[in-house]
This record gives sequence, structure tokens and C-alpha cells, in this order.
Amino acid sequence: MLAPLWFFGFDSLMEFIAFAIASAVAYQALKGYRLSKERTLLYLNLSFVLIGAGLVIDGLANLIVLLARFHRAFLPLSAFGYTINFVAQLLAYGLLVFAYIHQTRNVGAQVAMAAAVPAFFFVHNPVTELILIFLLVYIATQTAINYSMNKSTGALLVFGTFASLAVAHLFFLLFTLAAVFFPLAHIAQLFGFLLLLAMLVRVNHPT
Amino acid sequence: MISTAQGQATKPTSKYRSQFRIYVDILHVIQRENNEAKPTRILYGANLSHDRLTKYLEELKSLGVIQENGFDDKTYSLTQKGIEFLNNFRKVEAFASAFGFKI
Repeated sequence: MLAPLWFFGFDSLMEFIAFAIASAVAYQALKGYRLSKERTLLYLNLSFVLIGAGLVIDGLANLIVLLARFHRAFLPLSAFGYTINFVAQLLAYGLLVFAYIHQTRNVGAQVAMAAAVPAFFFVHNPVTELILIFLLVYIATQTAINYSMNKSTGALLVFGTFASLAVAHLFFLLFTLAAVFFPLAHIAQLFGFLLLLAMLVRVNHPT
Repeated sequence: MISTAQGQATKPTSKYRSQFRIYVDILHVIQRENNEAKPTRILYGANLSHDRLTKYLEELKSLGVIQENGFDDKTYSLTQKGIEFLNNFRKVEAFASAFGFKI
């Protein structure tokens, strides 16, 4: 299934916005790590560096294809960008899952990481999207549990972020069936990052 | 930035607090006491033994985040650096907490 041509450009713009937000989250996590030396914050920093890198590479690749007016020679760039973005997200969400398991001191951490490794051999197909959804549902569940315990707006926004990203990847999966799901997936992804931005603003400017 | 003597905090568990966490607890107690806390208040507030309290207060003084006032009736207060550190810590704590991470 091909992405709708009219949407080219918008997807890059959305990914650049998401990249900026991911970079801000990575910076905040790095600041926290420098202050506290808490390792989970370093994992959070690395996760969002990876997410941001994947988004900006995919956005740039699609933008180049658009600027080259879909010249045949440039079309493989789009697949290259997607693949890099996919691998980056896989590593990032795998790292976040590891961080949650590390925090809860569950000995199954290595098992969860090992489960993600074979995905490198199955890029750009519904199976790999399913793996991302699986990782995101796990993270969304952890953040939902966190919200149920501390009831803070920040925790709700983070839960909303990962729930939106899980829905976005569900739409990316459904995109293999109908083109309309491609823009919907990007909108859900951007919405998730905007929730993250709202959390950052709240944390840095408490009322 | 406040770093531990080893340059890295030990992992906090339900049983042990990291050196970083003890620093923060001491600073919180001083701030809670209207920025003028007697050693006994800090001792009880931060749940420390006398020897450990003396050691940590000296370390915090050398880091420039607290200052000692008075001679016979000693009190401790936060410096501007200490106030800024606590403000930064609260932001980091809120950020980490939003993700469900404890520091």
C-alpha cells in the first residue's frame, strides 16, 4: 500500500515537530540524570534521543523524495527513512521497557530485551509493527499503573502519550490495508508528542 | 550539581537511601523549618544518626548548598545554590514521577 501523495510534506512536518519535542524530553532526562545519577533517567534520555533521531531521519528522507518530485532514483530513500525510524523506535521502546523492568527489579528484563532482538530481521511489515505495538502497550500499561497510583496530571499526560503512540502504530499496521490510515497514524503520533510537550511545560512551570 | 563522593549514587532501595537522597532529605528538612534548622530537627527529620548527620552536614557545607549560623546554638540554612538545587530537584522529580520513575 502506498502512502497518499497529498500527505507527503505534512508527514515530514509532523515528524519534525515530534523530533523537537522528543529532543526536549531527552534534554530534560539528561538534566535529571546529571543531577541525580539515577540510571532510569539515562535510559529515558537514550530512548528519546533514538526516537528523535528516527523521526528526523524519516522526515528528511520523505522531504527529499518530495523535493525531488518523486523521481524514481530517490524513491528508495523513503523506505530507508522508514527502516531507520523503525529500528530506532524498536530500540527506544525496548530500552523503555527495560527501564520499567529495571525499576521494578524484575529478573525477566533480559528476556524482554532478547524478545525484541529478532525484530531487526523483519523490518517494514505488519509483524514488526505488531512488536512495536506490543512494546508500546506494555509501556502504556506501566504509565497507566503509575497514574492510578499518583493521580498527577503529568502522569496522565505521559500515559496519554504512550496510548496515542500505540494507536498510531495500530494505524500504521492498518495502513497495509487502507491508505487512509497513514495520515491518521501520523496525526495520532503527533498528538502523543504534543501531550508530552504539555507535560514538559507543566513540570517546568508548575502552577 | 551535587554528586556523591564516589561520583555516582548507589541504587536506592526500600532499605537503603542513596547519598544523593540523604542530601535531598536534609535540604528538605532545612527548608521546611523556614530555612533555619537546628541539628536535632535535621537529625529526626532526615532520620539519621548523629555521626552520619555531622558527616553529611560537613559535605553539604563544602558543596556550598548550606551554611552554618551561630556558635553555641548552631542552626543551618540553605544558600542560594541550595535553594536553586532544590528547585531543580523538584522539577526533575516531577518529570521522573510522570513516567513512573523514582529518584
